[in-house]
Amino acid sequence: MITHSKIRCSLRRFPLIGGIAIAAVCAGPTSAHKDPVKPEQLKIYQEVFMEEVRKGDLLFHGDQKMAEQLGVADDLSKTGMACAMCHPMASDTHPQSFPKFQAQIAKFATLRDMINWCIEKPNQGVKIDPESEAMKALEAYITWSNTGSVLQPGKF
Amino acid sequence: MSDELDRIRREMHSVLQPEGVRPDDSLKITRRTFIHGSLVFGAATVGQAFAWWPLLNTLDIAHAAETPFKFAWISDTHLYPRSLNTRFVDKVVRAAQEVQAMDPPADFLIFGGDLAQLGKIEELELGVDLLKEIKIPKHYIPGEHDWYLDMGKKWGELFGQPNWTFDHKGVRFIGLDTVSRGPDYWTAKNMTPEERMGHMATLDGTVAGPWAGVGRDQLDWMEKTLADWDKQRPVVIFSHNPLYEYYPPWNFWVRDWREVHEVLKPYAKVTNIHGHVHQVLYNEIGTLRSIGMLATSWPWPYAPEGLPKLTKPMIRVDPGDPYDGVGWSKLDVAANDQLETEYIMWGRKEVFVQSPEDHDKHVSEVIRPRIADNMWPYR
Ligand SMILES: [Fe+2]
Ligand SMILES: [Fe+2]
Repeated sequence: MITHSKIRCSLRRFPLIGGIAIAAVCAGPTSAHKDPVKPEQLKIYQEVFMEEVRKGDLLFHGDQKMAEQLGVADDLSKTGMACAMCHPMASDTHPQSFPKFQAQIAKFATLRDMINWCIEKPNQGVKIDPESEAMKALEAYITWSNTGSVLQPGKF
Repeated sequence: MSDELDRIRREMHSVLQPEGVRPDDSLKITRRTFIHGSLVFGAATVGQAFAWWPLLNTLDIAHAAETPFKFAWISDTHLYPRSLNTRFVDKVVRAAQEVQAMDPPADFLIFGGDLAQLGKIEELELGVDLLKEIKIPKHYIPGEHDWYLDMGKKWGELFGQPNWTFDHKGVRFIGLDTVSRGPDYWTAKNMTPEERMGHMATLDGTVAGPWAGVGRDQLDWMEKTLADWDKQRPVVIFSHNPLYEYYPPWNFWVRDWREVHEVLKPYAKVTNIHGHVHQVLYNEIGTLRSIGMLATSWPWPYAPEGLPKLTKPMIRVDPGDPYDGVGWSKLDVAANDQLETEYIMWGRKEVFVQSPEDHDKHVSEVIRPRIADNMWPYR
């Protein structure tokens, strides 16, 4: 019990770290109102994720309707080029290598920075909001398509 | 997919590459390559880094040309209407001017397919217009981007029969149509011509299936075409797709490659020059050697698996430079019976990898096929 309360104390100092998962583990006997995760819940979480992947897949492949739906139809490309034209199956996007020093941008960059660079340079489009749903969907598709790739942050 | 590919590869090699069988000895491969006219030798350090240090792209063909000559290759221009994309137009203009400026001039130009991006009349006609700069004879084969909007109607009006043959100074040249025999993926789903084209125009699409093929009828035609040709004399075959299996998920193959090799097996000196892959490729299967050409439009990355061991990869390109990783090719059939391929890659002095970091597969990746084109709207 002593151990538990100590952990709870230390958690209080870092209330944001670890979020829900740590809270569920540590709450333990003192507040036993949590249930084990249910298959239905997992299914919902997965569906939410795959819906983002689907949207991202369509944006990545130049689907105009999806771009309109997400409010980026005039931004992603002005040349007819779509991401997938240079990156079939999101190959060569290397999400596993970010963050890193990105030579083209000449700065330390995230995958979202690089997505916006591709929109601006090869596609001659207009940068999108890094927090936008379109950006998150693109990120979801790119990382999903590279499932199984080994993290190599910083790699050229 | 990987296991299946592996099995096919083993089968391909046991059937077509029994021990000791290679392209005829006179088809000597040297390490020489010509880049912007200058002779380049591979550095030893690179040879060590890539254990399978390749061969480059100089072919010696015995009994080849009666007199030396050159020809030129341009492909994969993927033109959009001029109002949408001027970069692709500019690159075709540059390639055409450079081919026309060749001195001594090329005897002919091969256009290797994917003239248009979405098969539109406007795009195909723009291509014809831009290539008018080139005054030597021009021979065209189709790419999938040229075909699937109107099933080759406009292409046929402009260029005629998609497969053809001619002899030139002791070499038999054959142009193949590897794109028009795709399985019907559109009728049952009531696709519009634009939708049909859209699926075909997506390299990593999952809807069009294994569309690349030569077809029994064309195989028979090729067999007949070669029947009167001395088996020791050189044959050069042009096709849009490679005539072996490199990476079927992107249709970097023809599905009936086994039958193609059955037809070509008796001939000792066959060279296939192909487009579609937008990258430097080299392979040998049985007595057939294959060379992949650059696009003028944009480069494709190497496939995640299946890159022929004999390929010395092209250098990893800078996506910020529209002239990097793209260009055209000069092919030189010399008096000493060599066929030399020179990649004119605009953005580079060095076409090939110089260090492991120069290879686009230096960052290892595992990737998977897309899903959305099969989910929507044809659920
Ligand atoms: Fe192409
Ligand atoms: Fe193609």
